[in-house]
Amino acid sequence: MRVKVNDEEIEIFSGACVKDAVLKYSRTAWKQIQSGRKTVLDRHGHEVAPDGELSGGEELFVRVAGKAGRKS
Amino acid sequence: MSAAVRRLLSVLLLAGLAPGIGCAPAALLSPRPGDTRVVIFHSNDVHAKIDNFAKVAAILERERRSGADVYYFSAGDNFTGNPVVDRYAPPGEPMLEIYNRIGLTLLELGNHEFDYGWERLDRYLAGASFISLGANIQPPPGVLSMVRPSTVLETKNGLKIAVFGVIQIEAGSRLPSTSPERIKGIAFRDPFETAREMKSLRTDRAALIALTHIGYDQDRILAERMPELDAIIGGHSHTRVDPAEIVNGVLVAQAGADNRFLGRVELVFRNGRVVEKKGSLIDLQKNLREDRDVAAMIARFNLNPSLNRRLTRAPVRIAGKDALGSLMTDAWRQVLGLDVAFQNNGGIRRNIIGPDISLKDVYALDPFDNQVVEIDMSAAEIRGLIRRACELAGGDIDLQVSGLTYLVRVGADKKVKNVDLRGADGRPLAEDRTYRVALSSFVASAYGFEHKDPGRALGLTTADALIRFLEGNPDLTSYRNLQRAFKEISDDEEE
Repeated sequence: MRVKVNDEEIEIFSGACVKDAVLKYSRTAWKQIQSGRKTVLDRHGHEVAPDGELSGGEELFVRVAGKAGRKS
Repeated sequence: MSAAVRRLLSVLLLAGLAPGIGCAPAALLSPRPGDTRVVIFHSNDVHAKIDNFAKVAAILERERRSGADVYYFSAGDNFTGNPVVDRYAPPGEPMLEIYNRIGLTLLELGNHEFDYGWERLDRYLAGASFISLGANIQPPPGVLSMVRPSTVLETKNGLKIAVFGVIQIEAGSRLPSTSPERIKGIAFRDPFETAREMKSLRTDRAALIALTHIGYDQDRILAERMPELDAIIGGHSHTRVDPAEIVNGVLVAQAGADNRFLGRVELVFRNGRVVEKKGSLIDLQKNLREDRDVAAMIARFNLNPSLNRRLTRAPVRIAGKDALGSLMTDAWRQVLGLDVAFQNNGGIRRNIIGPDISLKDVYALDPFDNQVVEIDMSAAEIRGLIRRACELAGGDIDLQVSGLTYLVRVGADKKVKNVDLRGADGRPLAEDRTYRVALSSFVASAYGFEHKDPGRALGLTTADALIRFLEGNPDLTSYRNLQRAFKEISDDEEE
């Protein structure tokens, strides 16, 4: 399935979760999320947990934790 | 601390007002005299994380004492994510006992409700004091007989609230995201088509609510298509929606995951209609009051003696990344019937196990909750994976393997010169064949190697695959000093 992370389209295995998509996008971004410096938002600006299950076409945004999210 | 301050604190504590020892938050809405206030607490994607339920119980109890009509909904995925619950005997029993104790009203089945197989789910639901929903689940006769498409809740003053439930299905398989063997014989309809058929529930009812497990994006689409709904309380995408959003006039709520938040939706009814609605999340990670009895239940469950259960006894101790990685990959390959499997060294977290191997040993060896992912790969793609892994590891062996052996030739510059693959028979791998390869979800995601097939998660964690393998009492003699991945320093030119 195809999802977008920070506007970059990536292809990932079906059944992948948020963590898998971020890891495929950037190991550095994943480390920043693990450390609590960054968080993952969906296209509506809501925080999603790393183990959140994904469907094709979803969009994720890695953002500084605590900052306002991107709203549709 | 002075006596006066201590006295003040004790008064505040009794009133539930002391800072740090929080209680249920104040009402979100202020109904007029004669209005009916309904409070719906909700959880989703708890994934067997039971520790905060003592706080949930205290919040529910306090709200019930307030006189409001109080309900508690679960939007699915209560299993898988905590060995204390998942490896209980019988599996999932702590969730059932806790929900029965604290008074869950409704459960919408999520894809992970099927993780122990529908037979276990059937027995689980037979013991439930709550109602289970799943309007787009079509089981054969005699299967999941406790699951209803919808139900109608009645408030103390006779208002009727209709609730239906729908579960997600994958675009390709048209099945929920779980291993197909666990839902064999059960059909699943499109959640949107099913929801549309539920519009008739609105007639003569004060409110219509969808309790869903389709993900937040899909919940918003459902809200756009069904303005007849008063609220959608959802799960699956683990989205923290705080406050709840109003989409096309429909309140859409979701409470994150892992029991870190408790959702609270309030509806105010006047003249038999919803006139106000609001939703927010309660942060359960804060120092909130706990129900002592439920806390004691949880403490008892956390001692789960099943985790000490011996899975098998090896004739030798199995030590080192090569042997342990070979054991893990053999397990995934054999349990899932694949050709080849790879595990990265970083995913092997113990240096030695055995001779007795317990559930706890497996979770210590493989604690990451990674999924087994299958990718169909050519020999060239397998070489590319090994090359990439070796270069990421600074020219060292990083992948342990089952189903083949390999030799990497690494130059003085730590770059891989070539990779020689041999099948189990010692002969080179066929270049024109496709191999079904098992990888951990971490390797599949993070290693950045070329492969045409995007792959698929097989609905089983790597640890669970190893447990199944060991429960079959395999002969573990050969794992002493076993090595299948080799490295040679080479000054030759790259091939």
